[in-house]
Amino acid sequence: MIIETNNLTRKFGDRLAVDNLNLTAEEGKILGFLGPNGAGKTTTMRMLAGLISPTSGYAVVDGIRPDKEAERVHEIIGILTETPGFYNNLSAQRNLEYFAGFYNLSDASAQIEKYLKLMELWERKSDKVGTFSKGMKQRLAITRALIHRPKILFLDEPTSGLDPEVSQEVRGLIQNLSREGYTIILSTHNLSEAEQLCHRIAVIRSALVTLDTPANLRKRLFKHQTMIKLEEIDENLIQAISKLDYVNKHSREENTLLIELADPSKHQSDLIKKIVEAGGRIIEVTDKKHSLEDIYLSLLNEEEKI
Amino acid sequence: MTKQRIFNILKKEWQVMFTELNSLMLVTVLPVIILAQGLLYVWLIEKFGGESMINSSFFQSVLRKISEVMSAVSNLEITEQLQVFLLSQFNFYLLLIPVMIAVSFATFSIVDEKQTHSLEALLATPVRTWELLLGKALSGAIPAIIVTWICGALLLLGVQVLGWGDLLTYFLNPAWFIILFLLTPAISILSFLLGVIGSARAKDSKSAQNLVVLIVLPVLALIGIQISGVVWFTTILTLVLALAVVVIDFFVLKVAVRLFSRESIIISWR
Ligand SMILES: Nc1ncnc2c1ncn2[C@@H]1O[C@H](COP(=O)(O)OP(=O)(O)O)[C@@H](O)[C@H]1O
Ligand SMILES: [Mg+2]
Repeated sequence: MIIETNNLTRKFGDRLAVDNLNLTAEEGKILGFLGPNGAGKTTTMRMLAGLISPTSGYAVVDGIRPDKEAERVHEIIGILTETPGFYNNLSAQRNLEYFAGFYNLSDASAQIEKYLKLMELWERKSDKVGTFSKGMKQRLAITRALIHRPKILFLDEPTSGLDPEVSQEVRGLIQNLSREGYTIILSTHNLSEAEQLCHRIAVIRSALVTLDTPANLRKRLFKHQTMIKLEEIDENLIQAISKLDYVNKHSREENTLLIELADPSKHQSDLIKKIVEAGGRIIEVTDKKHSLEDIYLSLLNEEEKI
Repeated sequence: MTKQRIFNILKKEWQVMFTELNSLMLVTVLPVIILAQGLLYVWLIEKFGGESMINSSFFQSVLRKISEVMSAVSNLEITEQLQVFLLSQFNFYLLLIPVMIAVSFATFSIVDEKQTHSLEALLATPVRTWELLLGKALSGAIPAIIVTWICGALLLLGVQVLGWGDLLTYFLNPAWFIILFLLTPAISILSFLLGVIGSARAKDSKSAQNLVVLIVLPVLALIGIQISGVVWFTTILTLVLALAVVVIDFFVLKVAVRLFSRESIIISWR
């Protein structure tokens, strides 16, 4: 595990921003921090990047404690901050040269050229950053995080504030970087983005709600429901269904039955047979799918009940 | 690596500064105004003989004081005495240059970083925060010192050209050198650090600008004290003053380093 946290905690005054966080990140994978605004994503990232210290607990990043040896961590990380800034009166290239000047790089200008070309900013390299669009600035900020070949890339809400088209472009970029083998920690409050990009998702709300792959998150909370639409529903039919031992739960919405089965693949055909035998005239049978959105909300709600 | 990083900071700071018309004006127009003013006063005395001034009781008492400190002055004609008096004021008057340049550069540099949020990305590089502070301090102090020295040289040149060369023997005393080569650097650094501290807390460039005024005040007070003849800064007194500023530098540096820690920049510069 390239990153591990141990009861990582950060308070601001009385406010608990990050609460006893224990999580790990795998090398070469994208780990997502998913949570609503104020969940502590930025604070966590800053602690991992050695920008602020934890109140208690600690993190280990590639074998280094960021709270103890911040500069050593800085050698191996690149970060896209939540509101990335540049010197607006200097050119894009000059900005990158300045930031590259703090690392021991023998080929800074070659790296700058490589990434400016990759990010399709090479033609604008001599223009002042102040004249750049938001999307261009974001690409430049990602470039800045890359030129010194960091082992770990922190991306704090990389697509927030960008229009959908540019967001999709940035996501494509992130996927390419992941294919190149970068370890990426990405924070977002956008669920589909997390699902699209991340190998694993840490749902955070001060404390860790859960950490799993997107597929497992789905499965864990995916309560399979079969929706059966009938011409009409009578008491007889309802009683027949409630007698079936593999039916966990059932409800009715006008002419549609919503039935939760213990094992849908095994019991669905039998259920249909029983309904027909009880005199039901079936119009349509479908699966009710849960979006990741529902899962996310139910996760956060579960948390609220505790 | 440290040297390389500090050069990197210096280069960038100067590039950014000199894209700003304000900072260009500051290092050119301000010294010219101060210099011209100083020479103008001295010239006016010669031109108009300073008759009425000489008769005023204020100048009589001031000139008595100079003569006490610099006995040779009393051998001069009364207008020349006045010229020496005014040229001597120039010592402290000159200090306005490093103070204003250093404070302005500091506030400009910090406020710019704050508004653009560029510091967070910078602090995520392996740069040490003291390297950053030192680099920035030098970027403000070096032009402040150089411009002051140029002004000092131009003043001497002006005095020569305008034909008061012999006044220099009274005016070019050790205090002048202490002011130029010890007090000026010390006060440049002090002004820069105060500028950094102030603008680290200020919300925008306006309130940071007010700070300039606040820091200029003690220098004005110094000029006032000497010009009114309350205290005449002899060599010893000037040295004491310069050393005091050096000591204050160290204390202020401590405060600045704390305010400039990575943690406090990230957390409180919002
Ligand atoms: N510099 C700070 N000073 C005080 N409180 C802060 C600071 N940064 C973050 N917080 C608080 O910590 C909590 C987590 O914030 P943050 O990490 O920015 O969340 P996220 O990035 O998930 O939106 C919030 O309640 C926020 O108000
Ligand atoms: Mg955030």
